[in-house]
Amino acid sequence: MATETLTIGKALNTGLRRAMERDDKVILMGEDIGKLGGVFRITDGLQKDFGEERVIDTPLAEAGIVGTAIGLALRGYRPVCEIQFDGFVYPAYDQIVCQVAKFRYRSRGNVTLPMVIRIPFGGGIGAVEHHSESPEAYFAHTAGLKVVSCSSPEDAHFMIQQAIASDDPVIFFEPKRRYWEKGPVDTSLGLDAAAPLHSSRVVRPGTDATIVAYGPMVKTSLDAATAAAEDGRSLEVIDLRSLSPLDMGPVYDSVRRTGRLVVVHEAPGNIGLGAEISARVTEECFYSLEAPVLRVTGYNTPYPASRLEEEYLPDLDRVLDAVDRSFGW
Amino acid sequence: MAHPAPPLVVARADLAALLFIRHFETALLELFAQGRVAGTTHTCLGQEYIPVALAPLLAGDHVFSNHRGHGHYLARYDDPAGLLAEIMGRAGGVCGGVGGSQHLWRPDYLSTGVQGQSVPVAAGVALHLQQSGRGQLAAAFVGDGTFGEGAVYEGLNLAALWRLPLVLFVENNGIAQSTPTDRQLAGTIAGRAAAFGIAYAGVDTDDVGEIRSAVGPLLAAVRDGGGPLIVEFRTRRLGPHSKGDDSRTPAELAALRSADWYARTRALDPVTFDEIDERQRARMAAVLADVANREPAGQWAGTQWAAA
Ligand SMILES: Cc1ncc(C[n+]2csc(CCOP(=O)(O)OP(=O)(O)O)c2C)c(N)n1
Repeated sequence: MATETLTIGKALNTGLRRAMERDDKVILMGEDIGKLGGVFRITDGLQKDFGEERVIDTPLAEAGIVGTAIGLALRGYRPVCEIQFDGFVYPAYDQIVCQVAKFRYRSRGNVTLPMVIRIPFGGGIGAVEHHSESPEAYFAHTAGLKVVSCSSPEDAHFMIQQAIASDDPVIFFEPKRRYWEKGPVDTSLGLDAAAPLHSSRVVRPGTDATIVAYGPMVKTSLDAATAAAEDGRSLEVIDLRSLSPLDMGPVYDSVRRTGRLVVVHEAPGNIGLGAEISARVTEECFYSLEAPVLRVTGYNTPYPASRLEEEYLPDLDRVLDAVDRSFGW
Repeated sequence: MAHPAPPLVVARADLAALLFIRHFETALLELFAQGRVAGTTHTCLGQEYIPVALAPLLAGDHVFSNHRGHGHYLARYDDPAGLLAEIMGRAGGVCGGVGGSQHLWRPDYLSTGVQGQSVPVAAGVALHLQQSGRGQLAAAFVGDGTFGEGAVYEGLNLAALWRLPLVLFVENNGIAQSTPTDRQLAGTIAGRAAAFGIAYAGVDTDDVGEIRSAVGPLLAAVRDGGGPLIVEFRTRRLGPHSKGDDSRTPAELAALRSADWYARTRALDPVTFDEIDERQRARMAAVLADVANREPAGQWAGTQWAAA
């Protein structure tokens, strides 16, 4: 045992370091990730220890970064691209959707691209719109991509390593406003000790209603569950962890017990992940439901100016309000 | 083409390759007209000499092709049935029928129909080839119209910055779909190469041998670590952009046709030319007969991911 207390940001850093030590085909690429260690310092110290050829400072060029990474992946590397902020992934969207996602299909399974695209996502840091977005549904919608999001230091440390070890391309969403949250991580453990990458997990057991969240909204949901417990309501919180493929088994099990489900995400609700989860639960657990599946999401607007983001982002009160509505049905 | 084109001297094997591509593309347009092929296609009629000239220069390299890529493939691989089956959705296609005309993959070959997209990918492959130090290069074919796409410049910047063994072969046929080059390209391709400090060469001849002697040494410099290169071929698109969609006037088309290599080469030695021409026409007919009788390409039973 070598349990340390790490922030999510540091846990990602240790995870990247492990992956680079394990496999010299792992290469990091991105804007200002070398000397600076990235704007969030997730790659801090890695260029110093692994050299400029494995931790590559690139020009401002998201299509160029992802495109180059595709070329490297074709030649046996495992590139990990850092997109500086969620809103800057769009210039690379063509490469991701038209090339990364389709390669396996086009080559009839002969070629898969083992690459990871790390994206700090979501709001809550008082930043502008293109530093605060939640674009995960665009990618989860695309066949051929795998999409995950971590919510704890432990998951950050192991999931980034699993994503890099994956033979499929993985879009890795990091909950940027939680980068500074701390938690225990046993960094001595190998990957086999970690939960599978594409599994969801009950992070707080409960009996009265189920909350499903991922990334930054897991903490919000856990806080809501703590507050609800004071009022005598027992909420079960499930961290999805994998947005594509979805691991719905634990969600179905939970809903069959509680009969109520609230899905929480920061991204706008319109045609988002909450809608997909709601549809699947309705298809699988129709006779167990005591109320419709409810969604607590960002509004269907562009991400607002920072002084309005508290209004925009789902918070504890909106989650509890949705739970109340579920019980009032 | 600005100057009057001289007659062409072509080695027999090269002439056979040129003529085969011509018959392949012509047959393809006929198949479309007959409703025997679905989807879309872009033929390289008039531009065949470019891939034929370059093929021996790129033998061990990694080639990236585009939407107008049949000639690139046919000159590089002796696999016309694989390409035709891919396009016709028959068994034995290069990608089992899922790639079609514009999305071919082989371990050292990749095409895409999305303009400009392949340049950064080629830069990534070139980065690996540079590191493996065996003097190989990554070559991408692009059209003049594709110089409007931003991804091209991201790739060029990276290639120049890191001195990558990347070559862009620009097939400037003076038009992008229906828009003439002077209506879609500000400045020149040479000027853009200069802006990045990238070596540039313009090629006006369609003489296969001349092209090889001009381009060969330039590629050697790239292999020796000299950094990226842009070679611009000023060429002619004889056919429509895809099928039945030519927006040029009959006079323009007639001028292009009269400058085409086919008639000029034939004029030199009609007897030999006709003999080779007939053989290639027959070869194409045999390929078509073979492929058209094949079973449809089956569904791919694979999954979207390698691991669940
Ligand atoms: C990103 C993108 N935009 C639009 C198209 C549609 N399109 C296909 S070919 C073409 C013209 C390309 O012109 P050019 O690069 O000059 O090549 P050419 O067709 O002349 O060989 C267009 C607009 C495309 N394939 N990709």
